[in-house]
Amino acid sequence: MRNTLLTLATVGLAILGLFLLTQAEGSSGLLSALTLIFIWGIAAVSLNLINGQLGILSLGHHGFMLIGGYVTALLMLPEKERAPFRTRLLSDWARNHLDLDKWLRGAGLDFIANSIDLKFVVALFIAGLAAAVVGVIVGAPSLRLKGDYLAIVTFGFGEIIRLLPNAPEVAALTNGPLGIKGIPGDAGTVWWTFFAFLFVLWFLTRLKFSSYGRAFEGIREDEIAAEAMGVNLAYHKVLAFTISAFFAGVAGGLYASYLQSVDTQTFNFFVTFFLLVAISLGGLGSITGAVLGTAIVVLVRIYGGFLEKPYPAYVGYLGGAVVMLSAFAFSAYIRKARRLRPVVETKHLIFGALGVALLLVTVFFRSEPWMTQTVQFFGLRKILLAVILILIMIYRREGIMGRAEFSWKLIFGPREDVPTEEQRKQDAWLSNPDLNPDAAKKEDDDASA
Amino acid sequence: MTASKLASRSTLFTLLAGLLLVVLIGWRIAMLGDYTFARIVQDFLNALTLGSLYALIALGYTMVYGIIRLINFAHGEIFMLGSYFAFYAMTLTPMHWGLALLITVLLGGTVLLVLRSLFNLEEPKRTAALALLIFAGTFFLLAFRNMGWIEALLLSMLATGVAGVLLEAVAYRPLRGAPRESMLITAIAASFFLQNMGQLLFGPRVQGFNAETILNRPLNFTIGEETVYYTGILIVVPTVTAVLLFVLNLFVSRTKLGKAMRATAQDAEVAQMMGVNVNQVIALTFFIGSILAAAAGVMYAIRFGQIHPLMGLIPGIKAFTAAVIGGIGSLPGAVLGGLLLGFIEIYVVSLFPTLSAYKDVFAFVLLILILLFRPSGLVGEDLTEKV
Repeated sequence: MRNTLLTLATVGLAILGLFLLTQAEGSSGLLSALTLIFIWGIAAVSLNLINGQLGILSLGHHGFMLIGGYVTALLMLPEKERAPFRTRLLSDWARNHLDLDKWLRGAGLDFIANSIDLKFVVALFIAGLAAAVVGVIVGAPSLRLKGDYLAIVTFGFGEIIRLLPNAPEVAALTNGPLGIKGIPGDAGTVWWTFFAFLFVLWFLTRLKFSSYGRAFEGIREDEIAAEAMGVNLAYHKVLAFTISAFFAGVAGGLYASYLQSVDTQTFNFFVTFFLLVAISLGGLGSITGAVLGTAIVVLVRIYGGFLEKPYPAYVGYLGGAVVMLSAFAFSAYIRKARRLRPVVETKHLIFGALGVALLLVTVFFRSEPWMTQTVQFFGLRKILLAVILILIMIYRREGIMGRAEFSWKLIFGPREDVPTEEQRKQDAWLSNPDLNPDAAKKEDDDASA
Repeated sequence: MTASKLASRSTLFTLLAGLLLVVLIGWRIAMLGDYTFARIVQDFLNALTLGSLYALIALGYTMVYGIIRLINFAHGEIFMLGSYFAFYAMTLTPMHWGLALLITVLLGGTVLLVLRSLFNLEEPKRTAALALLIFAGTFFLLAFRNMGWIEALLLSMLATGVAGVLLEAVAYRPLRGAPRESMLITAIAASFFLQNMGQLLFGPRVQGFNAETILNRPLNFTIGEETVYYTGILIVVPTVTAVLLFVLNLFVSRTKLGKAMRATAQDAEVAQMMGVNVNQVIALTFFIGSILAAAAGVMYAIRFGQIHPLMGLIPGIKAFTAAVIGGIGSLPGAVLGGLLLGFIEIYVVSLFPTLSAYKDVFAFVLLILILLFRPSGLVGEDLTEKV
């Protein structure tokens, strides 16, 4: 009861905060950051359902997001934006029939068709369904495999889905590599993403603590044992895959309407990699962790822009030297903490010496022309993400949260690692020979021995 | 009994599939009409070249998978590094002697360290001779004359091999004994790291790779009315591949380190108990795989005339598909798979020109089909996990 109230209060506070933020001046940067965190959060939490809770490495998430994005785009596209599509048989068909307005009015649901918001909800739902259907098609055959073979098959499916919109036979529908532009963006605001995010969190948390969630975790821990306990492996795996694909489709639709355009490069393999960094950073298997990791990664991506601004070259050399020296210090720290000898290995020492040399060169030649020319480090953020992922995998595979979830008990509840007064009394009784005859007997035994 | 029955059934299946394929191709050639003998020869040469390149890259995948059960996603990037090393070796030489000295010290030092750890060079005399050879050789190559493609190929192979060993030491070795999924994720991260590092260091644009050699001189000949276009590279690539395969085969089957490698692939734990230095063997595997990838990278660059930092992606995936087709973990399988994929790709595009847009999709479809229906590949061992 208290916990529910606390959750509701937090949600209310978040809504109030968001409302104040939308009213405030000059908050558009922060708002778009929040929108992205919500969108990527949905995607990350849904990937976490497969990769973390079910324990299956799936690398095809960008494919499901792409389907969601394209379906939303096609359904929401206004009449005038449809004209530039190439006039072919398929395209004519698409123009005449792939129209949510027409469907809704045909079904007598004019009130939905008149409101762009309600229409958007319907479009998102259909996008999710489309992705879920593809999820079943992909998942049913491939989930028989295990481990890295399964990862590669899902990767292959994801890439096929990504390459297909460019194919000439489908291009009339998807506009080929040019993509679809002019998706109405007023539906992709922070409010939509926020409520979608809340819904997904609620749904997946409920799922995690239901019998299905426990079955998923059983499969993760030991498939054979789970099967012996009566868990239908194929059913549960495909179910998790489908739910995950559904929410990936929703996230893709939200992202497409946030960008107001979609093409095949919007959802390339980097998307899956990005999500993988997010959930690994947060902790595979933890919804809280997935959200936390996404927030960190998205913030790095948005506010890390200063890393890729033009700088004089010596900043780069200096940065390189600092990175080398800190890697040297880090290795020494790790070896010291693990009590390895020698604390500084020869090859690490050579590496550190090179770092010092680079530092000296930078300081010494700082006014040379090749030092002062302007350079720009494109892709530094991606490199940073890759390095973060490698470091997590090597040094802290459980991520920030491990498999733990956030709960109010963690903050307000009694501490479980400290014994209560009652437990203490019990312990006293156990070890007191006056009260516990067993303890007295044991002491006698020890003495006689 | 059941095994032989199964084998005969699968042989029958293979035979039937092959027969069907032959009939299909024959029918298609008859339908096309203008598919002359010259075009068949032309396609054969192209397919052989492409297939050899895939085979060279696939060997790296299959060796690494055979030893530590890791799909080395970053192998395509190693291939890219190989072509860039050769590119810079050819365009930047002859360089200023000071710069050459600096690079010699850095590169030669790393190479020497890695080689020493790879080949058990304990004797000081041998080490000194090797050091002299490496340092003097690198310096002379860099400082005095414009490097030709053969020297660039050899130098790039050496440097890329060392890069592969460093990649293994930095990213994969700390994860020894970790879950295989973690290793795969690390490999993906390493792949992204190298791609973006390549874009940062080499520049994101496409660069022309002009080897002004006899390799690119047209050596066309005619069959009947039509000309078959071919250049030296179409002969050199299969030849170099064959030579490298021969050397690799000798190494794996005849030398002590090769034996250690086979033992590690069979059972790393027992091999370690028998006195095999497993870490050294794994590093050696990465070294050899990267050497082959570098050779493929340089020849790929000469063949197609351009390089860019993301060039390793598609050939990497296709070579991986080739390794899976052949049966991942098996060396002859990788070669067979590479050649097969090269032939399939060239002939499918040639016989069905409308399908050329699906060239990349096709590799993925093939990969998925093989993994779903015959994960052990054509000649691979059965890798079913047991309780």
